[in-house]
Amino acid sequence: MQKNRRALISPFLLAASALIVAGPLSAASAAEVTLNIASMNDPFGAAMTKLAPKVEAATGVAIKVDIMSYGELMTKTSADFIGDTGSYDIVTMDNVLTGQYATAGQVIDLKPWIEQDAAELDLDDVYPVVMNSLGGYGEMQVAFPFSGYANVLVYRTDLFEAAGLSAPTTMQELQAAAEKITDREKGQYGWVANGQKGPAVAQDWMQYNAQLGGSILDAEGKPAINSDANVESLTVYKAFFDKAAPPGAVDYDWGGREQAFRQGVAATMQTWSVGAAGYGDPAQSNVVDKFAVIKAPTGEGVEPKYGIGGWGLSINEDIAEDRQAAAWTVIKYLAGKEGQKELALLGAGGFVRKSTLADPELNAKYPFLPIIAESFEKGDGDYRPRIPEYPEIQDILGTAVNAVLAGDADPKAALDDAQARAEDLF
Amino acid sequence: MTEVSASAARRGLRLRGLAENAALVAAVIAFLAPLVWLYSTAYKPAREIFQIPPALAFTPTLENFRVLLELYDLPSLVSSSLGISLGTTAVALLVGVPGGYALARSRWKHATTLAYALLAIRMMPRVVTLMPFYLMMRDVGLLGTIWAVVLTNATLSAGFVVWMMFSYFRALPPEAEYAAQIDGRTAFGAFLFVAVPLVVPGIVASALFSIMLSWNDFLTPVFLTGVDSKPLSVALLSAYGTKDVSWGTMGALAHFATLPIVLIALVLNRYFIQGLTRGMH
Amino acid sequence: MADAATQPKEAAAAAAASTHARPGLGQRLLGRFFPALFPPGEPLEAQRRLFLIALTAPVITYVLVFAVYPAIVGLSYSLWRYNLLRPHRTAFVGFDNYVKFFSDPAMQAALWNTAVFVVAAVILEFLLGFALALLLWRDRLFSRICLALLLVPVTVTPLATGLIFRALLTADYGPIGYWARILGISGERGFLGTPSTALATIVVMDVWQWTPLMALILLAGLKAIPATTLEAARVDGATALQRLTTIVVPLMVPSILLALLLRMIDASMVFDTIYVTTNGGPNNATNVLMIAAVKEGLEFFNIGTASTIATVMLALVGLMATVFFLLIGRYEKKVAP
Repeated sequence: MQKNRRALISPFLLAASALIVAGPLSAASAAEVTLNIASMNDPFGAAMTKLAPKVEAATGVAIKVDIMSYGELMTKTSADFIGDTGSYDIVTMDNVLTGQYATAGQVIDLKPWIEQDAAELDLDDVYPVVMNSLGGYGEMQVAFPFSGYANVLVYRTDLFEAAGLSAPTTMQELQAAAEKITDREKGQYGWVANGQKGPAVAQDWMQYNAQLGGSILDAEGKPAINSDANVESLTVYKAFFDKAAPPGAVDYDWGGREQAFRQGVAATMQTWSVGAAGYGDPAQSNVVDKFAVIKAPTGEGVEPKYGIGGWGLSINEDIAEDRQAAAWTVIKYLAGKEGQKELALLGAGGFVRKSTLADPELNAKYPFLPIIAESFEKGDGDYRPRIPEYPEIQDILGTAVNAVLAGDADPKAALDDAQARAEDLF
Repeated sequence: MTEVSASAARRGLRLRGLAENAALVAAVIAFLAPLVWLYSTAYKPAREIFQIPPALAFTPTLENFRVLLELYDLPSLVSSSLGISLGTTAVALLVGVPGGYALARSRWKHATTLAYALLAIRMMPRVVTLMPFYLMMRDVGLLGTIWAVVLTNATLSAGFVVWMMFSYFRALPPEAEYAAQIDGRTAFGAFLFVAVPLVVPGIVASALFSIMLSWNDFLTPVFLTGVDSKPLSVALLSAYGTKDVSWGTMGALAHFATLPIVLIALVLNRYFIQGLTRGMH
Repeated sequence: MADAATQPKEAAAAAAASTHARPGLGQRLLGRFFPALFPPGEPLEAQRRLFLIALTAPVITYVLVFAVYPAIVGLSYSLWRYNLLRPHRTAFVGFDNYVKFFSDPAMQAALWNTAVFVVAAVILEFLLGFALALLLWRDRLFSRICLALLLVPVTVTPLATGLIFRALLTADYGPIGYWARILGISGERGFLGTPSTALATIVVMDVWQWTPLMALILLAGLKAIPATTLEAARVDGATALQRLTTIVVPLMVPSILLALLLRMIDASMVFDTIYVTTNGGPNNATNVLMIAAVKEGLEFFNIGTASTIATVMLALVGLMATVFFLLIGRYEKKVAP
């Protein structure tokens, strides 16, 4: 009996200890420095992982990419910064966190290094609006632009044709088309966006809000959440949900929304350009050859500006100087012309350079690149306020907008409440 | 007359047995079906994971496993998970078994209260202790290692172990230990070589609980581990991006995140019962 | 072991122990500061106490250092305005955080939802778990196999549970949610998207995950009931239902209370499943204290507010646990000879 018990447990323990010993060994590499990159689980995460050998060949620095979900990335990196532990050398920074990164002083200001290597970086090749929105904050540059996204509209060409509609250029056209295409009996819906409480609904609504002429902050940079324009845009956003969105959309985050479009449930969707490649992939999508990517529509009478988002690369202040230098070398490669093209070929989906968007090989692979280029030319990277208090503002909005969509509050009351909460932050 | 009713009763019993079995089978199916679905996503191409209307048929593929192995350092994830759960359990047993024994043998009137108080450590919401604990671990240089997770998780497990072993040892008459002391063993020797071997089922049962709880834990490791010490429970959520959920990759990863613990539960499940039965009464 | 043999052995043990009964240095020092530990005239008992204290010391010290100390530090932050990302705004604010907590409708909703969730989940898990335990009571291979399979959900990371159910229940293309919507079983927006059913759906996930554990603890309690007691009742002509209510349930009160207590504590901290399904929505329908605490503490690093929420949680669970401890204590006194 005793023997039996031991016989049962010991192979398991043996296997366990073998794995524990083998774990660290397998991570060894030939390069002198191995940098840890905290990466968001966007397509660039996988692309960077695949590109690691080329990065090492080009820079002599090995990289280890830790791919994380958004919440995990935020928690891990903030904890790393606050604890001064230097676990991650390079951090992918969501552009909305620029303000927080800049004021908390936990990453390096890249400005001096950028100036020093300006020629090598060919700064004129980087879209100015991207350079600014993905890491620029006042005089500082807390991240170097790495994966820029433009807000675009994707729509189902087959459904629009069948309904005798042309591609929408204004919000009003989009709304009319979405409602016309919606046929609940057939399970066909005209439109989809994020409705889930929290960052998901906050970010999508802010996009529509900007396109409809609203703004989260006033001219002095203070919250103006309950402005008339914002209340109006939220009313429109709710109408979209009530009249044209799949019923489950109130609980959709990005994954659910993208799934709905790829499944063919929804006929239109505003989305980051990064997702566009997936709709044409037969392994993932039901709508291959039935969709088109166009510039995002704007409200009538509103000057067209296209939402810019995406990720920059930051260097942790807590790491040793030689590691910081190595990290800068890696960033120069990843954000440089060669690295950008390699990443694009691997499906990273984000762009920062004019040369990459103009590349013939890439254009043959991704026909929607000119749309992104045009959007970058007239881009707006500040429709989501890149201030230090952004995370809390986003949470407040995420709660308010979701309450309206759920039918528990009217737009005016919800935004009044949000305004009061936001004012508390300052 | 009596014969008829007897056979009717037998038939009634048999019918009841059948109904019981049917209910059990139904319960097993209900409790396993969602998991079967998760595992099945690992073998589906992305497009076929969801279909409208939902369908059962799909074209099997191993692509998701290939992607998983390409993007994740699986040996490191598995070894971190094992290190965390086995380490937690080792620490908890090391301090918890002697503690449980001492409380059981003590004639102090508050011994029971103390055993319950140790169990009640579970009541403390993690969010509160994590930050001070984080700074503490930073100061001793354990942050980003599995030891940070082990040390905090083991406080919960140790409480459970003390409480369980307390009940166990209390049910064990102390005479054998006295006898051993006469034969020349020290008090500690009597505890270690006489009392402990008699409660092995209890130790195994509490060890299994401890392994399970720390294997599944998400909040503590997401906060305390680093790139080389990330366990499977955290990686499982990493597979979940905001732009797109890679269900297939997640399904593949779930094999590694849940199957080991499921296998342990299947093989050693009688210890749960045995341990609990004697532990509580 | 025969009584006759035990008696002299015990006496001999006492004799053997008394030969080295002179207190050691440590004992003399401890005795000076804690005279109660070493009652005069009982050297043997004193030594034994010291040994037992030495065995308990590691676990007590360990828990004090790694659990109680961080907890006290953490809870004390609830009196401060303290955000790790904005350390320059740190200030002592007394009970301001609590005032804010109790006057915020979102927090009131979270408090209420947490209480409803705990009560509903624990009661359902108990009823279903008890039924399962009764079905599994008879010891046979079939029961053992079923039990092993039923335990599988317990071993799944709660995060995975949330993700699985979210996928299954999505109203537009989820394998269950799609049909539920078409057939009118769920609201138009699906189980999770409809405010009135969202929390109930989270309860179902919790029930799916933890009922088997409940069944296991209760089964252990059932197995501890002496077969002779039941047989006697059967011979006396008691029906199955009578046996259940008059013998089985009363004998199982300790394990029932324990199972309820453990699940109550854990259920009060429900987080993972909600985090990946509704994130507290729609509106505040599934907003619970832990979701709010994690958001404040681990996303905004707003430690003051997070500690406040956690303190309220602790008070809530502590209250429930105290009631249970009292019940257990009372019961044990009643049954103890």
